[in-house]
Amino acid sequence: MPNYDDVIERMTRSLAKTTVRRSLLRTLGSLLVGAAALPLLPVARGQSAGKESGDPASCDYWRYCAIDGFLCACCGGTVSVCPPGTEPAPVTWVGTCHNAADGHDYIVSYNDCCGKSSCGRCLCNRNEGDRPLYMPGKSNDYNWCVGSQANLPYHCTVSRIVGMVTE
Amino acid sequence: MPGSVALAQLQPEPLVRQDLPGTGSAHWVWVNDVVFHHMVDGKAFLFDGDSGNILGMLSTGFGFGSVLVPGNRSVIISPETYFSRGTRGTRTDVVVLYDPRTLDPIGEIAIPAKRSSNMPMRATTALTDDDRFLLIYNFTPAQSVTVIDLPARKFVGEVDTPGCALVYPTGPRSFFSLCGDGTALAIQLDDAGGVIARERTPELFDAEQDPVTEKAVRDGNTWLFASFAGDIVAVQTVQGRTRTAARWSLTTAEERAQGWRPGGMQHLALHLTGRRLYSLMHQGGPDTHKDPGAEIWVYDLASRERTQRIVLEAPLTSIAVTGDERPLLFGIFIGAPQLRVFDARTGAALRTINEVGFTPTVLVSY
Repeated sequence: MPNYDDVIERMTRSLAKTTVRRSLLRTLGSLLVGAAALPLLPVARGQSAGKESGDPASCDYWRYCAIDGFLCACCGGTVSVCPPGTEPAPVTWVGTCHNAADGHDYIVSYNDCCGKSSCGRCLCNRNEGDRPLYMPGKSNDYNWCVGSQANLPYHCTVSRIVGMVTE
Repeated sequence: MPGSVALAQLQPEPLVRQDLPGTGSAHWVWVNDVVFHHMVDGKAFLFDGDSGNILGMLSTGFGFGSVLVPGNRSVIISPETYFSRGTRGTRTDVVVLYDPRTLDPIGEIAIPAKRSSNMPMRATTALTDDDRFLLIYNFTPAQSVTVIDLPARKFVGEVDTPGCALVYPTGPRSFFSLCGDGTALAIQLDDAGGVIARERTPELFDAEQDPVTEKAVRDGNTWLFASFAGDIVAVQTVQGRTRTAARWSLTTAEERAQGWRPGGMQHLALHLTGRRLYSLMHQGGPDTHKDPGAEIWVYDLASRERTQRIVLEAPLTSIAVTGDERPLLFGIFIGAPQLRVFDARTGAALRTINEVGFTPTVLVSY
C-alpha cells in the first residue's frame, strides 16, 4: 500500500513550490490514453532519439511529458518495452516531447501494458499537450488497455518514440 | 479454585447489522474511489458532512467511476465492470442498483461490455431529467452511449456518437456529447429510448486554442464549462437547439497574467438557489488543467463577479456543494485521502475526515 503520509508531504511541499510542478504531478493518479492518429505535424517516422539523457525510472525523464500512469521502466519492463506477462495495447495516445539532449522534438506514443493489476510503482502524471476525453488521441485520461487482447486491466505504460518533428 | 472467574449471567449483546437512518440527507456525500493501485476493487464511501462520520460503503468493481443518486433517492445507481478471473477472463458490465437504506444490491441490469474506463468524471454517466433513462458513455475505442430504461430495468439501445464523448443531459429525452472539433452532438430520444433526432451543433468553443474541460456543472438549461485558460463557456439548450449563450472570464487580465487558472478533477461546483459558482484555482502555466487547486474562488452567477477567495490549507482536486439552504462544500485531493468539509457560505473550514479511501476521485452530494 502506498505511503500516503509521504504522498501528502510531497504534494504539500510541491504546492508551496509552484515552480516545481513535476514532483506534484507525478503522484497524481489517473488513467491513460492513446490513439492511432498522429498529430498533423511533419514527422520523420520510426526514428529513435539521437542522444538520450536522464533516468527512465524518473517522472522527470523527457519522454514522459504527457504520460499518466505507472512507468514500465519501474515494473519489469523498460521505457519502451512491456514487462513479462503483459499485453501491449496497440492503440495509444501521443505526445510531443522535447529532448534537451539533442534539441529535437519527438512524437511519443504512450502504449499501455495490460492483463495484470496495476504495477503500483513510479506513478507519473504530466500533461503537456494533454486534451480532454473528447479529443481521444491526445487524452491521457482513458484506459487504453480497452484496445488490447487483455481488455481493461491496466499494469503500466511505455513511451515509444514514433517520429521526430522536422520543422 | 485459584484463578477461577465468577461470571455473572449477562444477556449477550445481539449480533446484528445496521441500516442507514434514512435514504439520504442534504449533507450526505458519496466519495467515489477508483483505487488506482488496485483497480479491481473500486469503492464508494458515504459520509455525513455534519458529524464527519462514515455511514457505509459499496464495493463497485473494476475501473469504477461514480454512483448516481436519482432525485427521489429511491435507489443508488452504480455502473460496474467485472472480470471472471479478477483481472482476466470474461468481462461483464452491469448497472447495479443498491437499496439506499441497507446498501444491499437489489438489482442488476446487464449492459454491453463497453463502458468507458477513464479517469473518473461525472459526465461519463447521467440520468435524463425525469430519471427515466440512464445514459452511459462507451469507449472501445469506438464511441457510443448506452441507453437503459431504469424503471423497466433493461438495456434498450446504443447511440453511436462517433467523434464525440460523454453525456450532458438537457431534458427528459435529450442530451449532448462534446466533439473533438469544439461542437456537440445533440441527441433527442423517444419514449422508448430510441433516437429520433441528431444535430451537430455549430462550434461551441475553440478546441485547438482553448479547449474546455469535461468537468462542467449544470444550471437549468445551461451547462457551464471552464476553458483551460479560465473562461466560463455557457452552453444553453433552448427548444432543442444547443448553442453557446455566453462566455466570461474567471480571472481579471492581471490575475491571468499571474497564471491563475482553473484545474483539477472536479473543479467546478454550483449552488443553484444561492446562484454561487465555486471554482478550484491554482497558479500555473499551460497544460496545468489537472493541477490541484490552492484556492476556491466564489462567483455570483448573476453579476459574474467574484465574491470570495477561499485559501486552502491543503490542495484539492475535487469539490462539490450540497443543494440545501445551509450548504456544505466538500473537497478531496486524489493524492491524500482526506475529506474536507467547509461552510459553503462563509468558506470556513469545519472539519477534516481522515482515511477516506485510497485515490478518491468524484464527489456526489445530495
